[in-house]
Amino acid sequence: MARYLLISLFVFFIFANSNGLVFAESSYVLPYPSFMPGNKLYIISEIKDKLSKYFYFGDFGKFKYNLSQADKYLVEAKTLFEYKQYLLGYKSLQKSNEYFTNIKSNLVNAKNSGKNIEDKEKNLTEASFKHVEVLEKMKEDVPETFEWIPEKASPTTLYLKKQIEDAIEIRH
Amino acid sequence: MKISLVTYFASLLFLTFFSYAFIDPNLSYLNVLYSGFHLEYREYSSIVYLFILTALFTSCFLIINNKNQFKSPVKKIILLTIIVLFFSYPAMLSYDIFNYITTAKIAFFYNENPYLIYPIEFTGDSLLEFTRATNKTALYGPFWILLTAIPFVAGMGNFILTLFSFKAFIVLFYVGTVFLINKLDKRAVLFFALNPLVVIETLVSSHNDIVMMFFALLAFYLIKTKKTFSIFSLLGSILIKFATLFLIPVYILSFLNKIEGKKIYFFAAASMFFVFLLSPFREELYPWYAIWFIPFTAFLYKNKLLQNLILVFSFGLMLRYIPYMATGNYFGDTPVFRTVLTILPVVIFMAYAFYKKQFKIFK
Repeated sequence: MARYLLISLFVFFIFANSNGLVFAESSYVLPYPSFMPGNKLYIISEIKDKLSKYFYFGDFGKFKYNLSQADKYLVEAKTLFEYKQYLLGYKSLQKSNEYFTNIKSNLVNAKNSGKNIEDKEKNLTEASFKHVEVLEKMKEDVPETFEWIPEKASPTTLYLKKQIEDAIEIRH
Repeated sequence: MKISLVTYFASLLFLTFFSYAFIDPNLSYLNVLYSGFHLEYREYSSIVYLFILTALFTSCFLIINNKNQFKSPVKKIILLTIIVLFFSYPAMLSYDIFNYITTAKIAFFYNENPYLIYPIEFTGDSLLEFTRATNKTALYGPFWILLTAIPFVAGMGNFILTLFSFKAFIVLFYVGTVFLINKLDKRAVLFFALNPLVVIETLVSSHNDIVMMFFALLAFYLIKTKKTFSIFSLLGSILIKFATLFLIPVYILSFLNKIEGKKIYFFAAASMFFVFLLSPFREELYPWYAIWFIPFTAFLYKNKLLQNLILVFSFGLMLRYIPYMATGNYFGDTPVFRTVLTILPVVIFMAYAFYKKQFKIFK
């Protein structure tokens, strides 16, 4: 009995001394951050993205477009939160969520039109893992709420942690 | 003369028959005709191919150089050439036709953008079994993709019908190009229409280069009478395979009446030959790229040496298929042999032409 207790304590101490839980890191690669809000060229990159939407027609095309935009805005949100630009980061994460939500319907449409979506589903699962991985790290560093006080308007409370939790939920 | 014609047609018939020895083992639609001959007897296949090429080029050389004694109607010869080669297997020397069909399927069946979506993304599609370069997005211009809707729809979802619809579509542009050359200068027709490189790469392999050249020639044909149509025609040509972008300077000079007559064709041929020479920097010197300058050199018939040189060079380019045909290997010594086989006939011909001239001087 004492021997089992000793082994249990040993295992417990090993895990207790490690840096928290260990996750298998996703091999999915997110893009580099592009132009950030505030940069003069940001509006141009936004227009380019909006226009390129029409180039990405078809279910697979839309899948690629929505996933790339979800990736882009997630990286943007992460960078902005790191610089404590909570309002801008909040908006970027909102956009990332919107694009990510669209992806599933693209796959459903592709499947309904007889396309094999196995590879795309795999791709989406990997992307989801990576997104969740990034979001979990983001959650650790942001405050619970942020009060945004615009000029000539009443202040608004941004529930940052809640938004990140919702983002994780969408990706599950 | 009769012997040349008989040899020419016998070679074409044999080529059509022989092309079926090259059926891809994965092409289930033509399983019944698959023999595996080109894989089992690589050396024999190469020898037979060389024999056909030599017979075709020799007879063509004799027909073109003795066209004054030529009694048979040119139209009938061209028509018979088309009929014989239409039934050949199109992927004997190149698999591009499968690529055209796959790209058309992505655009008009799956309704996806072929410039973004790779063929390989359509897991389970039967075309992937034999289509090459499935890990590449569309390689050609948007006008070509738009045009392929016609043969693709005509195929009605049946692969064999689609394959031959694409062949028929290319044949139409060959006929159109011959028609335009005939309109511009009757004496230029034979050199282009019977050139074995043009005939094989267009009527057997169904390369879309002929479509690009048709619109380029149409642009020059309409340059004086219908200027707007002419401009759109050149634009259409550029949006098929981009190579005719290099014709813009000659086109502008001709548009502004700065150059006229045979000079237009000379500069057009030179421009297209220049871009042809640049092609190895992009990918490779494919034999069918010669279709870019051959239509223009057809008009330069007063320069016999040049036309014969083009014919010999065409022969050299068609020999480029032999190293891979014989070894099944694209690497190792193959690129060296390809280069040697391309240049050798030209060197021999130039040496012969030089000594013939010297001999005449001494005489």
